Amino acid sequence: MSSQQTPKTIGSLNFGLMDPEEYREMSATKVITADTYDDDGFPIDMGLMDPRLGVIDPGLECKTCGKHSGSCNGHFGHIELAAPVIHVGFNKLIRRLLRGTCRNCSRLVLDEHERDEFRDRLTRTRELQEDLNDVTKAAIRQARKKDTCPFCGEVQYDIQHEKPTTYYEVQQVLSSEFSQRIVAAMEGDEEEEDSQPVSPQELSDKTGIAASRVQEIISGEFRPREEDRKAIEKVLDVDLTEEDMNKLMPSDIRDWFEDIPDEDIEVLGMVAERSRPEWMILTVLPVPPVTARPSITLDNGQRSEDDLTHKLVDIIRINQRFMENREAGAPQLIIEDLWELLQYHVTTFMDNEISGTPPARHRSGRPLKTLSQRLKGKEGRFRGSLSGKRVNFSARTVISPDPTLSLNEVGVPDRVASEMTQTMNVNERNLEEAQRYVANGPEAHPGANYVKRPDGRRLKVTEKNCEELSEKVEPGWEVSRHLIDGDIIIFNRQPSLHRMSIMAHEVVVMPYKTFRLNTVVCPPYNADFDGDEMNMHALQNEEARAEARVLMRVQEQILSPRFGENIIGAIQDHISGTYLLTHENPHFNETQALDLLRATRIDELPEPSGTEDGTPYWTGRDLFSELLPDDMNLAFTSEAGDDVVIEDGQLLEGTIDDSAVGGFGGEIVDTTAKMYSKTRARILINEVASLAMRSIMHFGFSIGIDDESIPEAAEEHIQEAIDNAYERVQELIETYDRGELESLPGRTVDETLEMKIMQTLGKARDSAGDIAEDHFADDNPAVVMAESGARGSLLNLTQMAGCVGQQAVRGERINRGYEDRTLSHFKQDDLSADAHGFVEASYRSGLDPKEFFFHAMGGREGLVDTAVRTSKSGYLQRRLINALSELETQYDGTVRDTSDTIVQFEFGEDGTSPVRVSSDEENSVDVEGIADRVLDEEFQSAEQKQEFLGERAEPTNLSEHADDWWMAEGDD
Amino acid sequence: MVDVSQHELVPDHTVVDDEEIEDVLEEYDIKKTDLPKLQRLDPAAPDEASVGDVVRVTRDSRTTDQAVVYRLVVD
Repeated sequence: MSSQQTPKTIGSLNFGLMDPEEYREMSATKVITADTYDDDGFPIDMGLMDPRLGVIDPGLECKTCGKHSGSCNGHFGHIELAAPVIHVGFNKLIRRLLRGTCRNCSRLVLDEHERDEFRDRLTRTRELQEDLNDVTKAAIRQARKKDTCPFCGEVQYDIQHEKPTTYYEVQQVLSSEFSQRIVAAMEGDEEEEDSQPVSPQELSDKTGIAASRVQEIISGEFRPREEDRKAIEKVLDVDLTEEDMNKLMPSDIRDWFEDIPDEDIEVLGMVAERSRPEWMILTVLPVPPVTARPSITLDNGQRSEDDLTHKLVDIIRINQRFMENREAGAPQLIIEDLWELLQYHVTTFMDNEISGTPPARHRSGRPLKTLSQRLKGKEGRFRGSLSGKRVNFSARTVISPDPTLSLNEVGVPDRVASEMTQTMNVNERNLEEAQRYVANGPEAHPGANYVKRPDGRRLKVTEKNCEELSEKVEPGWEVSRHLIDGDIIIFNRQPSLHRMSIMAHEVVVMPYKTFRLNTVVCPPYNADFDGDEMNMHALQNEEARAEARVLMRVQEQILSPRFGENIIGAIQDHISGTYLLTHENPHFNETQALDLLRATRIDELPEPSGTEDGTPYWTGRDLFSELLPDDMNLAFTSEAGDDVVIEDGQLLEGTIDDSAVGGFGGEIVDTTAKMYSKTRARILINEVASLAMRSIMHFGFSIGIDDESIPEAAEEHIQEAIDNAYERVQELIETYDRGELESLPGRTVDETLEMKIMQTLGKARDSAGDIAEDHFADDNPAVVMAESGARGSLLNLTQMAGCVGQQAVRGERINRGYEDRTLSHFKQDDLSADAHGFVEASYRSGLDPKEFFFHAMGGREGLVDTAVRTSKSGYLQRRLINALSELETQYDGTVRDTSDTIVQFEFGEDGTSPVRVSSDEENSVDVEGIADRVLDEEFQSAEQKQEFLGERAEPTNLSEHADDWWMAEGDD
Repeated sequence: MVDVSQHELVPDHTVVDDEEIEDVLEEYDIKKTDLPKLQRLDPAAPDEASVGDVVRVTRDSRTTDQAVVYRLVVD
C-alpha cells in the first residue's frame, strides 16, 4: 500500500469462495503465453509478466493503473483452464458434499425433519461459538446412512476419496465370474455335512426363475437381472457381486454441485450467496500480480523467475497441450492423462507439500515454494512477516557485569549510544541544548544524527555540515540526538519466558563494546556472563517512554507475579559477604567501618557499638543496620538457622543471609518492597550489594582444592564406613543368591535387592559426608557458602570431600553396557556396588577410570535431560501463550476473551494481583497485621486511634460471675 | 454409580432460577451464551439441570473463602 493513503478502519470481513465470473471481471488480462520476456527483455503481452499485471522494474508505468513500481500494488490476471480441476484446499469439503448429496438430483439426502434438526443445531453452535464442523460432519454422517434419495428415490453409492484429488463412486455390480460362483455354490461344500448339492431344477423352483433361464445363467450366456441375482444369492448363500470403481471427473462433480439447491447447502453451514459449491472446482485460475512474484536480475544479467512464475508456466503449457490434443481429437486415454497432469500442476501451485503427491521441483532438485508454503510455518507470512517483524532502534551485544551501576541502570557502549537516537522537539527552552547536540555532529558522543525541519524535510547531520546546521536549528525543528545518561530504554534477554525478561533501564553511556548490568538483575533475566547477549530497544515516543519508566523499570519488577515475593535480591558473593559481616558480628575500627560503607549513601558513622582498649569499634550488624529503613521491625529465621530480630531499623541479632536479603523471597527485601516503596527497596538492594562486596573484600574469600581436604584419620574413617557398606551389600547379595531375600510389598525380589543396595550405599555416602563435615571449620568457604545459601549445598561438599556416591541412569544403578555386565572388567551377573556405578572416591581424591566412566554416564543423562526439557517446555510455552493471549481482565474485574465470553468472574477468584497480596499454604494473608498498619497510618496520635476504636469495656459490677469473663478478655 | 457430588473435592452445583439469571446477565452485561459452559453429561452437573439452564458453582477458595461461578448447561 502506498504510504500516502490514510489508514481506514475495517468494518467487517467476509470469507467465502470466489465466483469464477468475479475472477474474470477483476482480471487485468487473460494469460495465454507461457513465455515471460521477449528477446529485447520486454514483457510479452498476455504473457506471465504482462505489464498490465503490475510493474516491478523502476521507471516503467503500469498499464492498468498508470502508477510506477512501488506505488502500484499489481493486478490479478487469469488463465482459462481447458478443463475444470479440483481445488486441493477443498478436497475434504468436496468429499463431504459428494457423500451427502444425491447423485441424481443433487439434493441433500436428508428429509425435512432431519434438516430442521441440523439447522437448529447450527444456530445453537453458532451462538455458543463452538466448532460448526462438528454439526456439519454429523449431518453428512446421517446422510451417508441413507441408501436411497428421499426425493428422487435414486440409489446412493459410496464415495471413495483417493488423496488428494481423485474421487470414485463405488457400485456393486454383477461379478464377471458369476456363473462359476453359482456352480460352485450349487455343488455344495463337501467339508460341511449339512450342505446339500442343489440341482438346477431346485434352484429354478426356489427362485421362481424359468428352468431354461437358469441353465443359461449357469452356462454364463445370460447375465441375471438384479432381482434374479438377489434371489439366487439368497437361495445359494453366495455373493455374486464385485466392487466397481467409477471415477468421477472434475467436470462430473461440477455438474453435480451446480444442481445442489441453495437451501440444502445452508443445512451444511454454507452460505450459497458467498460460496456456491461448484466454485470449488476451478474453471479459471487467477494469476497473482507480478508484484507477488517478482523476477530477479542476476549479476550476469540473466533473469531468474519466482517459483510461482515457474509453476504458472507449467500450468499454461499443459493447458495449451490439453486444448490442442482435444481439438485434434486425441484418444480419451491421452486426454485423461493430460487432465491429470493439469490437475497435478494446479494442485502443486497451491500446495507443494501434499502427502501422496511428489512435490514439484526446481531444476536443481529443490522443491518449489508455492502459495501455501509462503504462508505456513515459522518463516511463513503469518508467523514470520506479520507477528514477527524486524525493528529499528535496537541493538544487541554481549553483556558483562558492573557492580557500580544501580540495578535500574544499564551500561550502553558509546558506539551504540551514538547510533540509537531520541527525538528532541526543539523549543525556546532546549534550543541551546539541541544546537549543542547538532554541533557535536554524528560521531562525537552526545551528538545528533538527523534533524527534521518544520516542512518535514529530514537532513542528515554530517561531520562537514554539523557546525553550519546547528546555527539553523530553531524552535519547531526536530533533532534526533544520541542516547545520553538517564534516557530510558528497554532491555531484553531471550527466551522471554516471563515479564521480567523485558525490563526498562536507564542509560549510562560507557566506553568499550558490551552492555553492562548490575549482577542483581541476573536472576530475572536468567543471564550470566559466559557470552550471553542481550537486546536493547530505544523508545521513540513520549508515551512509550512514560509507560516504560512507570511500569517497566527494573525497580517496579522487584516483586514477581509468579510467587508474589521479590525475585531481585542479593546473590552469591553478596550473600557470602553479608554472612561474613553479620554471622559472628565482628568488630571494625573507624577506618574499616568507613571503608565498608563507602559505596553507600551513608557518609557518617553511627555511634560506636562500644570501645575496646580505648578505641571505638563498630559491629558488623550495626553497620548493616545503617542500610535498613529506620522504623523497620521484623523477626524471622535465617537460612543459617538462627533467629533474626530487627527492631526500629536495628539488626539486634541473627545472621543476614539468603533468606534475609536474597532473591526469591528474602524477608528484608520483600518487606521493604511491600511496606515502604519500590524505590526504598531498590536503594536497599543496591546498598546491600555494595556493602556485601566491600565486606567480602575486607575478609577475603576464595576456595581451592585444599579447602576440601580432611585429616588422614578421617579419610580412614570414611573408608571404613564405605567398606562396611560394601560388606552389607555383599550380605544382601548372598541372601538373594540363597533365595532368602524377602520381597517388599508390590515389588519383585530383584527390585527389592536393587532398592536395598541403593539404600545401603546412599547411607554410606551420607555417613561419609557426615564424617567429612565434622572436620570442616565454620569459616571454611564451602561451608560458608552452603550455610548462607549463597551457592552450593552440603551434598556438593560431601561429594568433594567424602564420597561421590552412586551414579544413576533413569533412577536405577547403571545396568547397561555389555551382556550381563556393565564393563568387560567385571564378571557376568556381578551385583556388587562397584560393578554398577558406585563411585567410592571423592572429587578431591579423584575418580579411577571405571568410576570416571560411570560418572560420565550419569552426567550425560543430565545433559540430555536438560536439552529435552528446554525444547519441550518451549513448545508448551508457545501453546500456553497462544491459548491465553487473547484473555484480558476487564474494568469490571472479569476475565474475558475477545468475543466477550467470560472466563473468570473475578480475576483469580479474588480479584487481587499476586504482586500486591502474597499468601501461600502456610502463610495466609495477614489481615490483622494489615489492619493494624492501616490504623496506625490513619491516626496521628494514640488518643485519636483510641477514640476511633472505642473504649475497652469496664469491668462490670453486676455480679461476681462476670469477673471471670472480664479477666479472660484481657490481661489488665 | 458413584455420586460425585458427595465428594469433598466437587463443589456445590445448583440450578438457579430465571430471576437470578437475569441479575447475573445484567451485572456483567452479557448474553447467556457468554457464560462459561458446563456439559449436560458432566458428572458434577445436577440431575435436574437441562440444556439451557444456568448452574451456580460455589467452591471453596483459599483467598476469598467462597468463589461463585455461573455456568450455562450445554450438550
